[in-house]
Amino acid sequence: MTEPKVAILIVTAALLVPASRGGLAAQLVSKIDAGQYSVSDGVLPMSTFRVSPAVQWLTPYAHVTARGSAYLTDQQVQLADGIVSGTFTSPTVYGVRAEMIGNASRAVDDRSLGTDQVDVQTRVHVLFHQHGGVWFGGGVARPWRIAVISSAEVADAGAWGKIGETTARFGSATMTATFTNFSFSKIASLGDSGSATTSAASACDVAAPSGVASSTPLRALFSESAASVDACSRQSRFADLEGSVHWEAGPLELTAQTGHRFGNAYDVTPDSRQWSSASATVWLTDRVAIIGGGGRQPALPLRGLPARSYGMAGLEIAYSPMSKSAVPVSLPHAVLVHSFEIHTAPSGLQKIVIHVGGVETVDVMGDFSDWSPLTLVRRGRDLWELSVPVSPGVHQINVRVDGGPWMAPPGIPTVRDAFDGEVGMIVVQAPKSDR
Amino acid sequence: MSIRRPVPVANVRAPVLLGTLLLATLPIASVAAQELDPLSKLDAPSKFTVQLLVDSAQAAGLPSRALMSTALEGIAMKVDGKRIVAAVRREYSFLQTARASLGPVGDEELTAAASVLEAGAKPAALVAFRARQNGRSDLEAFTIWADLITRGVPKEDASTAITKLWQDGADDAIFHSLWNNVQTDILQGLNPGTALQNRIRETPGRAPPGPGKPPEGQQENQSSK
Repeated sequence: MTEPKVAILIVTAALLVPASRGGLAAQLVSKIDAGQYSVSDGVLPMSTFRVSPAVQWLTPYAHVTARGSAYLTDQQVQLADGIVSGTFTSPTVYGVRAEMIGNASRAVDDRSLGTDQVDVQTRVHVLFHQHGGVWFGGGVARPWRIAVISSAEVADAGAWGKIGETTARFGSATMTATFTNFSFSKIASLGDSGSATTSAASACDVAAPSGVASSTPLRALFSESAASVDACSRQSRFADLEGSVHWEAGPLELTAQTGHRFGNAYDVTPDSRQWSSASATVWLTDRVAIIGGGGRQPALPLRGLPARSYGMAGLEIAYSPMSKSAVPVSLPHAVLVHSFEIHTAPSGLQKIVIHVGGVETVDVMGDFSDWSPLTLVRRGRDLWELSVPVSPGVHQINVRVDGGPWMAPPGIPTVRDAFDGEVGMIVVQAPKSDR
Repeated sequence: MSIRRPVPVANVRAPVLLGTLLLATLPIASVAAQELDPLSKLDAPSKFTVQLLVDSAQAAGLPSRALMSTALEGIAMKVDGKRIVAAVRREYSFLQTARASLGPVGDEELTAAASVLEAGAKPAALVAFRARQNGRSDLEAFTIWADLITRGVPKEDASTAITKLWQDGADDAIFHSLWNNVQTDILQGLNPGTALQNRIRETPGRAPPGPGKPPEGQQENQSSK
């Protein structure tokens, strides 16, 4: 597409946006993690300063995320990886919701210019009263620049459960179990055997020698010659069983996970059989957190990345922080507005301040807005704000989270409205100079 | 040999861009026209009735904005026109009653008092609020009163407690503190009526500063200005 056409398209789209009323409660959130990162895979530098920015565009039924990481080496910034991801979610009907996910990612390392992968996946998620759920789904992952691996069929299923509430003294804990099966064709070559005397045909045998994959020269993955006449196609399959616990209490967030990989020795290297990792986030303010963690990650055969041990410590800075999801599926967020305040701002406007965590949009409406929704701006991890002109007197106000039902805000008097609903009441005093 | 003259690109792009802008602006103009009439989403008979009630309120010196707000809330909640008209009519009636009880007060007081009546308080209970000191606002008292009834406190108990506090000179902070304590007790499982009785005993009335009570009907409502 030529540049003028693109410009016209963008101008048209920008002009049409205000014409589409309702359902446009979108928000842009972002964060940046920076700190020391150490890894043992022999691909990335052993210990380096790493920066990971991320930005997310959120609407109640669609998320688009872009994130990446880069490390500093010899005074130069080197890209490590990047991903653009889109998730589209249906409304929840009788506790069931559907999800469609698309990812495009690139991982860069010393051995190649980078490996690319495109994933498309659909899921069905059954929710149990916002405190648990099960999901199952399937899709296709298409790796590029890895000559010896075909598209992979991915099937996954999982369950999650949550106990406690974020506002409770001991916080909340979310436990997740995931089972993911990968099935793909792999070109077996002479190089795979680790021995020049073993023929490609024997590499295609089901009973492959233990540890053979670990001895595979990594460069063979990216070599077109791997798919030569001395090779044969072999069906590979492995499955990951993972469990995780995410605990959140006050300013502290802890996540621990462990996993086991099932598959025969040809498909699973010994160093990827089991793995564990943990991370911690301590929020110093609404926008700044200390982060740290470490552990072991399994190999990613589709990306040609080996297993690695890693450790990291640094800071997370986020003017509009992104939610950290404890469950790897899109959740309709539990409606839990922690607090609501309204006070006069220096500008003379009324500043509405709402604390609610783990949500994507917060709206208010009332008589002061002629009952039109006003979207608050995320100002911190769970802090949402909006300054609006509100005349002195008694006003009605309601709040909603993630496009859900309207409700009276907590901590203020509530009355039944004229339509059998509940509405919050605020009293705005006249400025002292007017009295 | 003919030399092909290049078409000036800018001349082609400009009309295309202008046309696109014009087309894109049309729906905005249409939406803007609808925005001028906030009741445009109501069916014609309902809209007519609501407008009639709003005009009547203006003529009677009642706060027509409160009626319009009720209609707009109904529209936002996607309530059907008949229910909206009924709600606006009811609101009109409460505003009339509130003014009869309170006398000539500001729009904010009338609207707040109407919400107390809508919650279920008797109009006679409002009469005590006709008398007030300069600079004293009854908005907080009315708000707490309506909330207590909504939470299940017996109407008579709520009316007696709020009226007594008002007559004792309680300020906004005292009313708010009472509400805060009662709602905490209710959330902990206490019967709403008992919660109010318990808390009202420990709530001090306080004589407000300033001059004595002015004659009835001459109160000045500061917060309405």
